[in-house]
Amino acid sequence: MSLAIETVNLTKRYGRLTAVDKLTLNVSANTVHGFLGPNGAGKTTTIKVLVGLLRPDEGVARIFGQEVSGDKPDVRSRIGYVPELPKFPKHLKGWELLDIYGRMYGLSQQERRDQLPKLFELVGLKGRENDLIGKYSKGMQQRLGIAQALLNDPQLVILDEPSLGLDPVGMVEVRELIKGVAKEGMTVFLSSHLLFEVQQVCSHVTIIHKGVTLASDTIEKVSHKIRGPTALQIEVTKLTKTLVENLRKLPFVTEVKTEDNKLNIMLETRDDIRPQVSETITNSGGTIVSMNLVGHSLEEVFVQLVGKAEEKEGGKTQ
Amino acid sequence: MTGRKIRPRWSVSFLAVVRYELLWNIRKKKVLGVLILAFAIATITLVLPVVLNNLNNLPTELNPNYVINTGTSISGVFMFIFALVTVMNSISGEFESGSIVPLITKPVSRTTVYLGKISSAILTLLGAYVLLIVYIALGGSIIYGPQNNLHLLSVSLLGSILSTLLWMAIVLAMGSVSKSSMLAALAGVGIYFGLNIAAGILSLFSNQAWILTYAPGSGASGYIKGLTPINPQTGTPIGGVSTGTDTIAATLITYILHPASEVTFFRLEFLLGSQRFNPVDLYTEPLFLVVARSIAVALVYIFAFNFIAWYAFKRAQVAE
Repeated sequence: MSLAIETVNLTKRYGRLTAVDKLTLNVSANTVHGFLGPNGAGKTTTIKVLVGLLRPDEGVARIFGQEVSGDKPDVRSRIGYVPELPKFPKHLKGWELLDIYGRMYGLSQQERRDQLPKLFELVGLKGRENDLIGKYSKGMQQRLGIAQALLNDPQLVILDEPSLGLDPVGMVEVRELIKGVAKEGMTVFLSSHLLFEVQQVCSHVTIIHKGVTLASDTIEKVSHKIRGPTALQIEVTKLTKTLVENLRKLPFVTEVKTEDNKLNIMLETRDDIRPQVSETITNSGGTIVSMNLVGHSLEEVFVQLVGKAEEKEGGKTQ
Repeated sequence: MTGRKIRPRWSVSFLAVVRYELLWNIRKKKVLGVLILAFAIATITLVLPVVLNNLNNLPTELNPNYVINTGTSISGVFMFIFALVTVMNSISGEFESGSIVPLITKPVSRTTVYLGKISSAILTLLGAYVLLIVYIALGGSIIYGPQNNLHLLSVSLLGSILSTLLWMAIVLAMGSVSKSSMLAALAGVGIYFGLNIAAGILSLFSNQAWILTYAPGSGASGYIKGLTPINPQTGTPIGGVSTGTDTIAATLITYILHPASEVTFFRLEFLLGSQRFNPVDLYTEPLFLVVARSIAVALVYIFAFNFIAWYAFKRAQVAE
């Protein structure tokens, strides 16, 4: 699968502070990739390097294989970027701004006429096109930010905390919008500190803390790799005492709870132990109706990862 | 999903930036305020002599040289103020407000953004000066009768724009380097008044007035024998010619009307006995040299400060 975003040992310092530290990031094309980290993790700095607002001190950043360091309009023509709390010139009207940006993207007059009303409707600003941006609320500016990022039908949409400044309804709308954008085949790179937002919207996630990658993969794999599956939920045709006892004897099983014909087996392993469990049940005379591997929520994984990173750091400084 | 990958033609991007900036310039309250002030001053200059004559029961005489002599000389301080209000936040203001982020992440090079901004400032300037000069020409023709040499108004316009562009370049450079509109304005005001005060002292009271030939602003003072009126009581020239970049328009028109003239530069010497200043001639130069050098000096400064502003903008990082 081709890469939409690739960074290799990307480093950015502000004086003594290393905001991004040898970050290696791979975002596959046509995925919705979450970029998760606590405040100050280096998410916005990484994004600013990707869109050309900052120059890296070390390492390389590429978008669709093209290096982004420096003033690269060609690369930017493939990106739609929603900055964190976007600010637009207050003296322009919403329509004027998108019309001018559309010209910058090389949209013809006809394309702009077709595209702009759709975008205003999509982001819920229909009827406010001819108001000065100075009269827009923060939430409206955020919506305008999303609209301008979709103007050029980009291959890659980079959103930096798109839910900031939005009310709960707006947040839901933005999530739906991102899902819609992803369905149309765009690659979405979503930076957020909202775990549920990433979990609901993204297929992949990279977790960073203090400029360092802690984990990067599909959300399921990240959860699995970090703590292993938490539990197996199994339904059998007939539950017997022998079956439960045999399961309890397995070395990776910590606890077995029963309810009617259902088993909830708590596990202590990172390996896929479903074949062994299945064999034990069959040998005990049981028949499996269904089996589900239940992982940890992203929130638990995130807290665990960041906690571990901070513990390590604390150890180093002592 | 197609994904637009082709960048627009340079001219399309450039005109988009010009449009972006022009809409801002014409909606800036500061620009409108200065323009209204300029029209008010022009109106007073045109009408006040007539009002005073009427109050003293004197007739207002026809003056076919009124427009070319007085109306086209846009004062240095006005040029500076206009430059200041037009460009003091063109670049720095965008950094301060954060609106620079969506602008420079579009597929337009920073050089194009810079050129678009400066072109828009020139267009704003051109529009304002054309309106002002046409207003003065019409008013002068109505009040003081048919005017001579009105074709030279275009030369005056060109000279005034060149003079103003120099101040614009300085203010833009300050704003682009500091990324602060306040600092750009303060530095611009400091440079303007510092140079003018220094120029006044150097020009009139020292033998080193030639230095001012190479500085922006009002420059060294001179007069043209047989052309510049002399105050009969003090013996000092009234008006005259200046080497400064602020007076390119007036000097250029004088040169076109009197190409063979020579400019004598002078300083003032205080005479203890008579308790007055006496003009002492320093050196004489052909008017052509004075004009050509003023234009060359202005162009060098315009280029140099624009280069600084462009380079700082091109290299600027947006961390906040």
